[in-house]
Amino acid sequence: MTGPGRRSFLRGALAAGVAGAVTTGSAAAAKDPTSPSPKPPPFHGVHQAGILEEPQARSVVAAFDVIAEGKAELTDLLRALTDRARVLTGGGVPAEPGISAPPPDSGILGPDAPAGGLTVTAGVGASLFDDRFGLAAKRPKRLTAMRTFPGDDLDPAWCHGDLVLTLGAADEDTVLHALRDICRHTRGGMQIRWRISGFSNRPRPSGTPRNLMGFKDGIANPDITDAAAMNRLVWAARDEPAWTSGGTYQVIRLIRMLVEFWDRVGLPEQEQMFGRSRDTGAPLDGLHETDEPRYAADPIGKVIPLTSHIRRANPRVPDTEGSRILRRSSNYDRGVDGAGNLDMGLVFGCFQQDPHRQFEAVQERLADEPLTDYISPFGGGYFFVLPGVRDRVDHLGRGMIE
Amino acid sequence: MDDDRGLPWARLLGGSLCAVLAVSLAACSGDGHRGGTAVQADRAHCGRGWSDPHAGTQTLLVHNADSAAAEVDLIDPSTGAIYAELEGVGPGTTRAMRVTLGGGTYAFWCFPEGGRPVTGPKVTVSGPAGGPAVRPVTQNDLFPALRSYRAYVTKGLGVLRDRVDELRDAVRSGDLDAARAKWLPAHLAYERLGAAYGTFGDYADKIDGRPAGLPEGVRDPGFTGFRRVEHGLWHGESAASLREPADRLAADVRALIADFPREQIDPSDLGLRAHEILENTIQFELTGKGDQGSGTALATASANLEGTRAVLDPMRPVLKPRMDLTGVDTWLDRTAKLLEAQHRHGRWTPLDELGTTDRERINGAVGALVERLASVATVAAVRRTS
Repeated sequence: MTGPGRRSFLRGALAAGVAGAVTTGSAAAAKDPTSPSPKPPPFHGVHQAGILEEPQARSVVAAFDVIAEGKAELTDLLRALTDRARVLTGGGVPAEPGISAPPPDSGILGPDAPAGGLTVTAGVGASLFDDRFGLAAKRPKRLTAMRTFPGDDLDPAWCHGDLVLTLGAADEDTVLHALRDICRHTRGGMQIRWRISGFSNRPRPSGTPRNLMGFKDGIANPDITDAAAMNRLVWAARDEPAWTSGGTYQVIRLIRMLVEFWDRVGLPEQEQMFGRSRDTGAPLDGLHETDEPRYAADPIGKVIPLTSHIRRANPRVPDTEGSRILRRSSNYDRGVDGAGNLDMGLVFGCFQQDPHRQFEAVQERLADEPLTDYISPFGGGYFFVLPGVRDRVDHLGRGMIE
Repeated sequence: MDDDRGLPWARLLGGSLCAVLAVSLAACSGDGHRGGTAVQADRAHCGRGWSDPHAGTQTLLVHNADSAAAEVDLIDPSTGAIYAELEGVGPGTTRAMRVTLGGGTYAFWCFPEGGRPVTGPKVTVSGPAGGPAVRPVTQNDLFPALRSYRAYVTKGLGVLRDRVDELRDAVRSGDLDAARAKWLPAHLAYERLGAAYGTFGDYADKIDGRPAGLPEGVRDPGFTGFRRVEHGLWHGESAASLREPADRLAADVRALIADFPREQIDPSDLGLRAHEILENTIQFELTGKGDQGSGTALATASANLEGTRAVLDPMRPVLKPRMDLTGVDTWLDRTAKLLEAQHRHGRWTPLDELGTTDRERINGAVGALVERLASVATVAAVRRTS
């Protein structure tokens, strides 16, 4: 018999999903995280799942430090992680161990352990490419540790990590089941450095979901069905090491929102800070959330202030087209601070080809936007999301470690 | 030795036509019960009804029509190894047995309370490998291990008594520096014994209880023992006021020593201890919850690891033919190495001085170890075979 961590599991039928089920439906329908989720893309593929799709209703972002000793153990870890992700996203029942071991599954999804639309998305941090595993030469060219920006209030315990997992599903139990399972099988290889649970709101009343400041967030994303745009903005560039093909860079920022303070701000000021109507999500010169702001007609920012969030983040001029990012954020809620204020905010996430050219450029344009007074970034990190697992013999990071 | 599962007569006692049709069971009536195959578990029909043996994970509905409760196992009839078990299937009740079957020969084994065990007809399944089977461990199998562990504790209690006496004497002499130096060796002598979850009954709380759960916390009169003395020694308490707790600790250790020869240890507890000692370590030492000021959680963890070995090592002859202990040994050794690295020049690194990486490595190693030790408990649980 085998010990835990090397147990064999029966997989359910190859129920990993229909090919190419990328969310391409009508914008409004696809954006409702609480409506029955479209099947996630299959586990095996060029890219990992959980990048292009809208965030699911429930998620966990967990950053890990790798404690495996040496390259062979790191390979074991990546294999174990791949194996668990493959099994969990496929669903199905673990083999019964009889009296040889405790139950192999936590049981929280019942005896059949359905996949529940789970996606597992794995990335690696710059620290993995230090001298521990001999990977220095393999580091993706644009992977660095997250910078400290003006206005940040970073807690080292909530920053960085050798590895990051984003788990998403329609239900909280599906996500936690996956987290417990993965941790159980990898205890000796990695330990959680920080983790945060996220959720996505249903559209109120329609369209793009709102963040916890009450504004629709994520309206103006690049078109994920435009393959050329994705190649230009999201997927790893051609000058990267060959193994990175199919991967992308993920920036995660844990951003506390000072919601009590925010709620004491008058509506016109709130709207001018965002540049959008709170009720409709429309730019302040428009009627609908999908309306394009006409900055050319408003050069000095009489209608949409030059310092507003949407105008700084995406000025919609040819020069800034290349700095667009694919935003994939969720909300968090985690208790009360010492002053009695609610600790909630945004698990900001974005995917891009080049964090410096894209996220950092956007961040620099936002540097002194008025909104910064109402938010406080306290953690996060930069990660390279590994290429997809091609088939049953492939594993996450194989090209990186070979 | 007392394992009669494989004996042919047991199979014949099955007494039904199905017993003869060992391979093709299609002819035997098996209820097409919704959600699983119904299988009889009463003495006269043990295993009858299993009409569609096939590979894969499935649920068998085991029905006991007898008037006594029964233990029902699915076994490999050639070795007596157990694939799955149901304890205490009540008279007239049906219980679900979830199994993962693979290529091999299976039989039901029904053991009614107060009766003799019966092995049902052999059933052959073809296909890829299924779930593992493990030969049951009997009380007799564990007696040598139990004797050996008792001897270890008896010897360790002598060391504990001597060191606690030295601690008590230092407190009585009023030399609190000396008392602080004597506290750790005495405490480790206790932590090395591998006490966990009631091994020492009420003495465990008297000697090593935490203030949690006491209404007055550290000032509660019920807060006694090592942790009480530690709290005083590292919180500026006077020698005079520590005298009573130190005397009481020494007295409680003596009472434990007097009591221990009469304390029963259930042989099944040995397997449980193998992981429970370190479950306690994780909960109270690696979190820092147990610490009352000495900052010696990692020393305690190291002593607990020794206690784990003291429980595990005598069980090895029993475990070895039943499970692969390579992973257990790998993580025992790595945990020991990581803990020892925090013991420099006679000083243990306090948890709050431990760097993130070192702490994660220790947490991860102990975590990987208990995952593997958990199987020791399920394998070494005592099972009756006759």
